Amino acid sequence: MIDAAPLADAGARRRRRRRPPTALLKHGALLLFLSLMVYPLVWMVVSAFKPAHLILTDPGLIPAEVTFENFQEGWYALNRPFSLFFVNSLVVTVGSILGNLFSCSLAAYALARLEFRTRRLFFAITLVSVMLPMHVLIIPQYIFFSQLGWVDTYLPLLIPKLLATDAFFVFLMVQFIRGIPRDLDRAAAIDGAGPFRIFWYVVFPLMRPALVTTTIFTFIWTWNDFFTPLIYLTSTDMYTVPVALSSMVSAESQQGIGMLFAMSLLSLLPVILFFVFAQRYLIRGMVTSGLK
Amino acid sequence: MRDFDRRAFLALAGMSALGASALLSGCGGGSGSGIALRYAWWGNTVRQQNYERALQQFQEANPGITVDPEFAEYTAFQERMTTQMAARNVADIFWIASPQVMTYQAAGLYRPLSDIPTLDLSDYSEADIAAFSLNGELLTMPHGVFVPVVRYNETFLEEDGAELPGEDWNWDQLSEFLIDYAANAPEGRTGASYTPDQDMAFEAWLRQRGQDLWTAEGTVGFDAEALGDWFEWWRVLLDRGAVLSLGEQEGMQPDFADIGERVLVNFGSSNHIIDEAAMFPDWRYRLRSVPVAPDAADGHRFTYYPRLAVYQGIDDEKLEAAGRLIDYNVNNADFLRTVGLTMGAPPNPRLLQEAYDFASEDETEMLAVVEADRAEEQRPRYEAPPGTGTWREALSRASETIALGDSSVSAVAESLIAEIQAGIDQAA
Amino acid sequence: MATAVKSRRSGPDAPERGRPARPVSPERRQGRAAYVFLTPWLLGLCLVTAVPLGASLYLAFTDYNILSTPNFTGLDNFERMLGDERFWAACAVTARYVFVSVPLQLVFALLLAVALDRGLRGLAFYRGGFYLPSLLGSSVAIAILWRELFGHDGLVNDALAFVGIEGQSWLQNPSTALSTLIVLNVWTFGSPMVIFLAGLRQIPEQYYEAARVDGASRLRQFWHITVPILTPIIFFNLILQTIGAFQTFTQAHVISGGTGGPVDSTLFYTLYVYQQGFRDFDMGYASALAWVLLLVIGAVTAVHFVLSKYWVFYGDD
Repeated sequence: MIDAAPLADAGARRRRRRRPPTALLKHGALLLFLSLMVYPLVWMVVSAFKPAHLILTDPGLIPAEVTFENFQEGWYALNRPFSLFFVNSLVVTVGSILGNLFSCSLAAYALARLEFRTRRLFFAITLVSVMLPMHVLIIPQYIFFSQLGWVDTYLPLLIPKLLATDAFFVFLMVQFIRGIPRDLDRAAAIDGAGPFRIFWYVVFPLMRPALVTTTIFTFIWTWNDFFTPLIYLTSTDMYTVPVALSSMVSAESQQGIGMLFAMSLLSLLPVILFFVFAQRYLIRGMVTSGLK
Repeated sequence: MRDFDRRAFLALAGMSALGASALLSGCGGGSGSGIALRYAWWGNTVRQQNYERALQQFQEANPGITVDPEFAEYTAFQERMTTQMAARNVADIFWIASPQVMTYQAAGLYRPLSDIPTLDLSDYSEADIAAFSLNGELLTMPHGVFVPVVRYNETFLEEDGAELPGEDWNWDQLSEFLIDYAANAPEGRTGASYTPDQDMAFEAWLRQRGQDLWTAEGTVGFDAEALGDWFEWWRVLLDRGAVLSLGEQEGMQPDFADIGERVLVNFGSSNHIIDEAAMFPDWRYRLRSVPVAPDAADGHRFTYYPRLAVYQGIDDEKLEAAGRLIDYNVNNADFLRTVGLTMGAPPNPRLLQEAYDFASEDETEMLAVVEADRAEEQRPRYEAPPGTGTWREALSRASETIALGDSSVSAVAESLIAEIQAGIDQAA
Repeated sequence: MATAVKSRRSGPDAPERGRPARPVSPERRQGRAAYVFLTPWLLGLCLVTAVPLGASLYLAFTDYNILSTPNFTGLDNFERMLGDERFWAACAVTARYVFVSVPLQLVFALLLAVALDRGLRGLAFYRGGFYLPSLLGSSVAIAILWRELFGHDGLVNDALAFVGIEGQSWLQNPSTALSTLIVLNVWTFGSPMVIFLAGLRQIPEQYYEAARVDGASRLRQFWHITVPILTPIIFFNLILQTIGAFQTFTQAHVISGGTGGPVDSTLFYTLYVYQQGFRDFDMGYASALAWVLLLVIGAVTAVHFVLSKYWVFYGDD
């Protein structure tokens, strides 16, 4: 294509090379790479539509037989419609997002912008709390929540989010806030704005990419979280999607693969849709947020 | 810390309270009147459905008692149970994962069962009760019986024109047969999968030599020689291509769904036929007792019991109801019919006979093997002591080392025993 | 301990120093406001984080089997580590994993984020597509997927057979099993990519316009605009991915079925902590192991912070 371009007009050629071919090349490379990356997922999608006993024995991409029985079986596998677990997951996820956005942004603003004596200590504590493996924390935490009588409710999953215990996001937001020029705060301060107004009118709107990122990650991580809901939610009616999914493959026999794939696929759909929707807000970010 | 802004704090507290009440209202804990029991068990979705239905039947038969089922997959079940144990917030009735039987006993987590009036033990002989007991006390109730078996694919055997050694086979005969079968089998088929970490087969091997997995005192009951010979038996098969290699079977404890079409025989527990034969409905599977060494020690046969128990901290007013539920679980034919035989043959001898009425072909096969083994004289068997929670994983790791061929069999055997012993010492 | 606020390289207080003191100094006002902002965080720290953290620290010096009360045993747990072969195996596995997979994943994520930042149609599609693997990274289904790829009859071997090389089970060979997990980690580069994307959005378009006017090439723009402005985010990703890699658990747990096999070749540190705590009921030893890990991660993070002074540029400096 490039070679076929007329040599006569160098300017025109440069223009042409600039626009479509580089874009085409880019698309080609990205598509190739993408297909490599998502191949395993495509395999999973195809497998979900295969009869369960053929998934492992006939692993090709073109199914010899297409069936919806994995979905039908999986949907009622736990004696109740799978939609119940979707609703449960949604409650936990939305609650966690709100909690994280609220609590982490407040804490991050204080740690990134305000001057107070214990700031560095607090910042260090934030970091340290993500360094300890959760497995040694889960039992003391469970004992605490169990004494409050919160077992088999969603409170142990939600209250910690409302209290900024997800240090990852506090740190993430601190880093973003520190990327925002201080001149803006100073200008607002000179106009007489206090820390609250600066936070609410200046910093918070500029944190949008970080807030969107937090939303995306909280959604995905909470939606996929397995261990915490497993420990705290004991009745099947309270299960979130991953706990319900885990019941489908048992360690003793691998019978549920078909169902597992089918239901995993369904459980991925909301996350994918949410991601595609939310990442649009990443695109805008700074450009529309008023900073010129 | 004096600087808390009151308004912000109130707003937060308000939000939390609002959220809390909204969430709590969604989930009442059990029934308003009567007695609520928590019943915890593990398995796959089929078992989850069956037991939920059976527990429903129990509630219909016992108005005034509600059952809150707590189900999880096996690994997840243990994680949740461990956490609950730590917080002393445990289901009233729970299944016990085999590595934890004595660990829970040592920690005093079982409510003795012999004085619960609603649990009827009249179907069991004194010898049965003695076999169920731990350190002479009836603390748990078995809800199934497993025996070690060799399962073989009869269809393959016929297709390939091979013939198993006689019923009174020994280990050498089986080994020769497997090597011979693998050499002549059609492409893609071999004798067996590589499973020296199949604990029931290993235990049978030990008991025939007069040794045990565990002693009454809670120590390792076997020596490096017996273990080394066991590994050696497998290593020969591996070298001769009579079993799948580690790579071919994708690691230890292969999924039967994955290897079922490639192997003729399989070592395992008698109840596995129910789930695993169902994976290949076109083929017929049969069970046999494991081979017996020519000079096998007396009473080497054994039965393994999956157990359930009542939590030590149960409220006294719930005890009678709990007894009723256990009684229903282990002594009632309707319950058994609903849940099926995935947990093995029923320990109750009366139910065992009744089970034949509704058992499928595969299930009948299992019931017969269990019944035959149970009829034999058995010397006592002891459960794994505290600190051995990962001994099976260690055995798998040792088996991997053997398969890789980097270390000598005796060295692997010795270090494995040392590792298990160290775990026991640590827990003591 | 942390009265070093003034010693920070710069800060808003610097220009204010010369002014006459006001009745309530802005600093005190800020301090008070800070505690209000931090109220939820402080509550969370006291109620949810600090107590378990403290408990686990105490348990590290005890013999605690979860079911009975802990016994104080001093430094026994730490002494035991020295002679524990599996502990050292876990350290080696984890170290190799951290040093290889973190840089690989970050470079991958950064390059793709830049490619998917702007100026191309269908960005939403690509971003979604490249993020897909991360959504699945910790699912139970991944074990089966990975076997389909790297197993004995997997896709990789099919490809190798095509060029005449006889394959093996990459998952069951102790010398390649860890590499498949590194591949898995790089495959799920979506999270750092999204964070990079968000960071890229913070770079004002004018900077690039100015650079283009000056005739700077794309590569120069990348090195002299994108990378410097992105350093706080690169730093963030580096820190968090490093911490995450030290704590890798789910993937290793799912793929090896919780064993860390074959022969401990994927025995990640936290997997060993988990085995000790939840399988062997040795929560005292598990806590000790966890705190050693915390110290190591803390030291590595501290080094990162010290080094960051030389390469991370903040907008607020």
